[in-house]
Amino acid sequence: MMRFFLRRLAGLAPVALGVATLTFALIHLVPGDPVIAMLGENAAPVDIAAMRHQLGLDRPLPAQYVSYLGGLLRGDLGSSISFHEPVTALIAARFPATLELAAAGLTVAVLIAFPLGFIAGARPGSAADFGAMAFAILGISVPHLYLGPLLMIVFSLRLGWLPLTGRGGLAHLVLPALTMGTAMAGILARMLRQSLAGVRDADFMRAARAKGLGEFHALAAHGLRNALTPVVSLMGLQAGALLTGSIVTEIIFSWPGIGRLMIEAIAARDYPLAQGCVLVFALTYVVVNLLTDIAYSLIDPRVRLG
Amino acid sequence: MLALLAALTMPGCRAVPVQAPANYLRVDIDTSPLSLDPRYGTDAVSSRINELIFDSLARIDARGAIVGELAESLERPSPTELVFHLRRGVRFSDGRPLTARDVKYTFDSMLDPAALSPKGGDMAALARVEAPDDFTIKFITTRPYAPALQWALHGVVPYATPPPGRNQPAPPGSGPFRLRRLVRDEWVILDRNPYHRAPPAAVGGIAFKVVPDPTVCALELIKGAAQFAQNNLPPDLVAYLRGRRGLRVVQAAGSTYQYMEFNFRDPILADLRVRQAIAMAIDRDALVASIMRGTARVATGMLAPENWAYEANVVRYPYDPQAARRLLDAAGYPMRAGGRRFALVYTTTQGEERRLLAQAFAAMLAEVGIELRIRTYEWPTFYSDIQRGNFDVTSMAWIGINDPHHYYMVFDSAMTPPKGLNRSGYSNPRMDRLLEQADATLDPVRRKAIYAEVQKLAAHDLPYLSLWWQDNVAVMSREVAGFRPFPNGSLRSFASISLAQGGLLRLPPEAPEAALR
Repeated sequence: MMRFFLRRLAGLAPVALGVATLTFALIHLVPGDPVIAMLGENAAPVDIAAMRHQLGLDRPLPAQYVSYLGGLLRGDLGSSISFHEPVTALIAARFPATLELAAAGLTVAVLIAFPLGFIAGARPGSAADFGAMAFAILGISVPHLYLGPLLMIVFSLRLGWLPLTGRGGLAHLVLPALTMGTAMAGILARMLRQSLAGVRDADFMRAARAKGLGEFHALAAHGLRNALTPVVSLMGLQAGALLTGSIVTEIIFSWPGIGRLMIEAIAARDYPLAQGCVLVFALTYVVVNLLTDIAYSLIDPRVRLG
Repeated sequence: MLALLAALTMPGCRAVPVQAPANYLRVDIDTSPLSLDPRYGTDAVSSRINELIFDSLARIDARGAIVGELAESLERPSPTELVFHLRRGVRFSDGRPLTARDVKYTFDSMLDPAALSPKGGDMAALARVEAPDDFTIKFITTRPYAPALQWALHGVVPYATPPPGRNQPAPPGSGPFRLRRLVRDEWVILDRNPYHRAPPAAVGGIAFKVVPDPTVCALELIKGAAQFAQNNLPPDLVAYLRGRRGLRVVQAAGSTYQYMEFNFRDPILADLRVRQAIAMAIDRDALVASIMRGTARVATGMLAPENWAYEANVVRYPYDPQAARRLLDAAGYPMRAGGRRFALVYTTTQGEERRLLAQAFAAMLAEVGIELRIRTYEWPTFYSDIQRGNFDVTSMAWIGINDPHHYYMVFDSAMTPPKGLNRSGYSNPRMDRLLEQADATLDPVRRKAIYAEVQKLAAHDLPYLSLWWQDNVAVMSREVAGFRPFPNGSLRSFASISLAQGGLLRLPPEAPEAALR
């Protein structure tokens, strides 16, 4: 396991290099000029030239790329053109908020998906299965942009139970987490249902029933664990998507995360900041999937990593 | 997962929630200010907040006139000199007295190429700034330059204030408020400046909260979580909020100018008859009534009627599709099979309102046989295309036009990109002569007469089709009293704003001040 872990960690380096190269190339290829965005169109040419020089934008692109990679090796993502602050500091200030939102969204998804998927998978074709899957499809179908304000109107405006926006205590987390987690809950519930329905007639389930276990206990004690592997795999992919997909939720709930920061950086053609945000998202995605692989072996001892 | 969530939300592992203190006005803004240093902040939110923290030599009052702020009087000893005499007893919020040395330093640092202030580009005609004594400041211009008074609107920072950085979010100012806390993307909280006299019933401070989504901003106003929002709600949401219990909408004339721009490099659009036909094919009254929901006035030119140089007697283009068809026929573009004469590309951004507007233009122009092909881009790509002249027709807005010198910036042939804002490539030697003459004319009466000619010529030549002047629309709680709208959208009346429990508190009207000339 340790060898596997170290090998995957070492694999992060080429991924980071690939992401850094792609991001660098893409953001420099799209139209837009950070210097004009900062100084305005009627800036004096001498001021434009001075700012280009100060930011290193007057150097050839390969030279800029090499110095960007050199900074990355030293852990220096550069300085934001718009905010006049180090990119690492700006990202570090917002990363906990994004991680918190994604973790809460995932928690909501698991709390909703597991009971729904279990109920549906335990009795495929029953009314409970139909009801649970209808709920799951509804969750997948309603976009965040609509669900967020809807939850706000009901739980904040009408009932007055929860705050509308902002990051604060746990109460501030409930509505954004519900918004984030509902669609994922639907996807996970459907996967769990399929997986459970698939193991219901397996030999080990018949053996469990022969031991005298009831249907519920047999499924909970033996079926669920065997049905979890594809669900965990999907959770890993979805958790990464939760991080990158948090942008809309962050905007709706005025949540100060990296998603909003990245949008602002791209709009201002703030090259260092945009590159830093994309890199952090990509690496987080890779780390989440590494953790998912490790989780396989914990759930199913037959899976050997290495 | 639950453990991770618990760890992240445990006290000590996260930022303490920010709360607006009691008796602070809670204001929703749509973006975080980019810089709370007035030498660097050019975005609208930074400008609005900075004018609450920093005084300037002069400011625009509620009638649109330039009046003294730090300056109590102005002299013009020669055509190239402006001498401001400063008020005494003014202090920055850290207690330091404000003197001419601070003013000189502020301007020197904006002009210093190494400081890379975006404000320096507008001051090319400023040769130097002198401070002969503690309370006198002198602008020396390279030539007689009438727009020089506009420079007096820049906020003043203390001597030796470095460029903005991580540990210095905002220098102290001498305005009515001072920065208490800045949490980027969340809050900007301003306290009262203890060295700035406040009316007895005025609020203790202002808490600006960043709420990017307009629907959520409307919900915050309904719930009472926010008490004020200005110009960050689309017209349909404003219509929804009108008449809601506990809220009121203050709509006042604004100077934001919406226009359609034509590219003169396109041979079709270079023909005046085509531009006139487009002008007569667009029903601007209908657009103001529908898309803008009555929150704008149909414009006749760049300057709104409140501006001192406004000229009403210009050629207008009433909605007349029949006349538009005749003009297009005369220009050599007869109607072909399928009801189409020619096609133009309309470039715009991806905002919902912008797309709606594009569709309305396309439908109206189709009536006279012009096919408008709509292309939407994200803002930086759109902006880059416009700057490079890579467009046929587009529509944008100018915000905060104070001085008619803006005509020079956008219509003088010397200001064609990359040097300036004449993106349409419009060139008329008579216009160039008038604009250069206006900039060199210090007598306001003569200057106004020259700008009257400029406005007539611009309305005739149609480099821009004037669409409308957008009103300033503020939605606020009924507790808020003392708000006075400014044509340029300034929030300066927050200095005397009050929160009255249970109803409106009426404040006496502000006495008009003498304009600086």
